[in-house]
Amino acid sequence: MRIIDSVSGSFSRIGERGHFAADIVRALPDWRTYGAETVRQMRNIGVGSVPLTIIVAAFIGAVTAFQTRYQLFGGVQLSVVGLISRQSVILELGPLLTALVLTGRVGARITAELGTMRVTEQIDALETLAYDPIAYLVVPRVIAAIIMLPILTIFADGVGVGMAFLTSIVATDILPSDFIAGLQLAFAPFQIVYSLIKGTVFGAAIAFFCSYEGYNANAGAEGVGRSTATAVVITSVAILILDALTAALLAPYLQG
Amino acid sequence: MKKTRDDVLVGVVIVAGLVLAVVGSLWLARGGLSKGYPLYARFAWGAGLKTGAPVWVSGATVGYVSDVNFEPDGTLLTELRITGSQPVPKKSPATVVPNGIFGDVAVNFTPLRSGAKYVAGDTVVSGPPTAGIAQLTAKADSITTSVASLTSAMNKELVADGGLADLRSTLAGTNKLIAQLSAIAVVQSTQLTATMTSLRRATSAVDSAKIDSTLSNLRTASGNVTSLTRSLDSTGRTLNQIVAKVDSGNGSAAKLVNDPALYNDVHSLLGRMDSLLADIKKNPKRYINVKVF
Repeated sequence: MRIIDSVSGSFSRIGERGHFAADIVRALPDWRTYGAETVRQMRNIGVGSVPLTIIVAAFIGAVTAFQTRYQLFGGVQLSVVGLISRQSVILELGPLLTALVLTGRVGARITAELGTMRVTEQIDALETLAYDPIAYLVVPRVIAAIIMLPILTIFADGVGVGMAFLTSIVATDILPSDFIAGLQLAFAPFQIVYSLIKGTVFGAAIAFFCSYEGYNANAGAEGVGRSTATAVVITSVAILILDALTAALLAPYLQG
Repeated sequence: MKKTRDDVLVGVVIVAGLVLAVVGSLWLARGGLSKGYPLYARFAWGAGLKTGAPVWVSGATVGYVSDVNFEPDGTLLTELRITGSQPVPKKSPATVVPNGIFGDVAVNFTPLRSGAKYVAGDTVVSGPPTAGIAQLTAKADSITTSVASLTSAMNKELVADGGLADLRSTLAGTNKLIAQLSAIAVVQSTQLTATMTSLRRATSAVDSAKIDSTLSNLRTASGNVTSLTRSLDSTGRTLNQIVAKVDSGNGSAAKLVNDPALYNDVHSLLGRMDSLLADIKKNPKRYINVKVF
């Protein structure tokens, strides 16, 4: 009986998120409600996250180049470091780690904001005033995340590759020409598109799951905290699953 | 005011991101904003070319492979993008060469001294393919197979069929033989030493005066032999002269030897003498009449 309840509970939670997604789509035409708020959320989510993204990406690039160089055995051309750094940062580490870091910064903030509004009945007040809370509170965050995560991913890719280059020529025996030769080897523009697709998907996931948890928070401050923790965990797992799915679907098109 | 500032910041970040994406892609894909000029080459299927592979002139990077098209006639129509305006001497053959040990390849021009240079859109001369990692690996595989079969054969001959035991036995026999030979050599050496000692003793016992006298006699005998040889030589020459005279038919002896009439006369004489002797034997009294008184 307990197993049946658990299974039906899981389906119920999936169904509730489905309804929530449908509400978001339904609210999209109401751009007058969320237009101005979207720009503000883009600033919060995107512009506010640029420094953190750059710091994370710089260390990703440096570590990738350093590790790659010292994994090579004798006889392997050093330009491989450029190739592996580019592929690692652009295809995987740039979008994935940026999304995971922003889950903590942006996702937790979205959940906390919406959760607080829910427990302080501000959302109920909006409904009372005939505002659509989904259109006013959730849609701007989802759109802002969908637009700004790819932009942040581009910054992460650029900074990561640049830092890999600097690390290689400063801290290892790799020549700039070797690194650049590997960087340009077998490059296909779709690799950048692939990175942006991942950023978009991860941005949507962060905004959606974190908004849902915040929007449905209850039980006061403790409930908000619980919702925030749940949102971060669910979003992180969802990002990893989506990463695997994206790779499985799009990796065959990456060959240069 | 705050709203306007947000708009500007968001716009700047988005534009910066898009510019970074576009410029970065262009730089990674074609080495910069400069388009350069294209050359075309045909290589055999399986050359392992991919876009982005470097193009070299004698090892110096001058561009990259910008496109590879599969052609049904067994070739890969390859676009080589030469960056900037770097010249590539006309008629220089382009060859697909290995680039490292992971199967990566590059296109290498071997420059020929020529005043002319390739211009945009030219189809370059394709050189012969060089052995790549795949060929080397195949060769290593075949060597490994040969070594494996050799090892197997040696194992069969030396281990399974008892060759190693035979070899050991042969070595033991050889060692024994060598030991015997060593013993014999020791004995022979002792005997040889004794012989040498005896010889030395005998040599020291020989009277040198006698040896001198003997040698002097030998010299005299040798002189006599020389003189005898000269005499024999002179005699031989005299005999040759006599024989020559006999052959020439001059003189009595020569005529005796060479004149058939004389021969016939002598023959007839002998015949008659035979008859005479026979008759004497038959009738001795006719010829011999002994009267004592």
